[in-house]
Amino acid sequence: MPLLFKSYVFLGILVALVSSSCVNLKHIAEFSETSLEGIGQYEQLASSFHQRCEADCEQQSIRNLTIHDVTCNCTPDKKADSITTIIYKSISGYLFGLKTISASKLTRYQTQDLTDALTTGDFGPIKLNTDDVKAYSNISTVILRAFTDGYRRSKIKKYVSEAHEPLTQLVHFLRLNLAGNLNGKLEVQKSLLKNFYFDLVADEKLSVYERTKFAEDYFNSLKDIETKQEELKNFSKALESISEGHQVLYTHINNLTDDEVKTKLGALKNRWNSAMHTYFKTK
Amino acid sequence: MENLTSEQVKDLADNLLRMTNALGDFRYEHFQHLSEEENMRLKELHSQQLEFTTEVYTRAALLVMTDAKGSLEQINTITKETQRLYKNLNDVQKVLERASAVLTLASAIISLDTKGIANSINGLLM
Repeated sequence: MPLLFKSYVFLGILVALVSSSCVNLKHIAEFSETSLEGIGQYEQLASSFHQRCEADCEQQSIRNLTIHDVTCNCTPDKKADSITTIIYKSISGYLFGLKTISASKLTRYQTQDLTDALTTGDFGPIKLNTDDVKAYSNISTVILRAFTDGYRRSKIKKYVSEAHEPLTQLVHFLRLNLAGNLNGKLEVQKSLLKNFYFDLVADEKLSVYERTKFAEDYFNSLKDIETKQEELKNFSKALESISEGHQVLYTHINNLTDDEVKTKLGALKNRWNSAMHTYFKTK
Repeated sequence: MENLTSEQVKDLADNLLRMTNALGDFRYEHFQHLSEEENMRLKELHSQQLEFTTEVYTRAALLVMTDAKGSLEQINTITKETQRLYKNLNDVQKVLERASAVLTLASAIISLDTKGIANSINGLLM
């Protein structure tokens, strides 16, 4: 009986240890999940390099009044999309990995089946007391979890530290391609539209109705492009929050229970939510 | 001379766009004073420069692959390690489940429960 009492005390201490380790990893799991949601919006983006190339090509055909035998070489733009997607998938893959290994349920091992097999099984002359089996099974589960949680915590620290620089670089390159290069192509398209519509709107040989219609077309097309640019800008802000969130994890990697970490990640989550709210409003 | 980075090429494209738009603005602002021929020539030049600029943006996007190669390799290695860790931690649960199944089989053998033996073996094979 005293042995069982000691075991329960030991069990209590271990439960406390395991519970505190779960809280530490919860920040990481929440950060990864929120970041995954944010970066996942990449797949919903309304513009791509290939689409811009086709739109430019179409605009050129309209300018030249040609609809027959129109060929567009958009191969480099398709490749640019592939590169951007590879970067997006690599970031998502890492965040997904971080999420799965920091999920609290991962090391919540189920030993009920083992306990049942031990207590109800017929093992010949060996007779096991049901209460003892349950108590030792609980203790072994807690020890197992404390060990595996400690192990994965040290692994997570290693991964976050090693991944920080490449992740920051990849987020930077994803932003460079979307908010930099793709946005630049949209900016060029705006200039091409003005180049085309300017003479039509200014042409006094056309009726006022025709000129008004051309001006209307111009402003509608311009608005469409600006909506796409706004979408890229908001997505880029969400990417920046991911980078900043990872920086918080990296800086406080040895003290993840710190309230400061919790507060900083919470603030980033709010900023991300606000960026996403604006993002959905522009859609 | 070293190769240009994606960032440098993107900056070049931004500068090209600014210069090209200056040409466009000149045409829009002096439209009334330009001959039809001059206007058409400027319009064509502006359009050609814009087409060139958009190609430079694509080129910058393609160069990102060269610049990001090292980071991509590093992050993919870490991702594989996280997957391995996840599998190992999950394997502990599998070991527990298998231990239960073996115990059930042992119990069935000891009690000579033929139906139980068959069920346990099936469970282990699943």
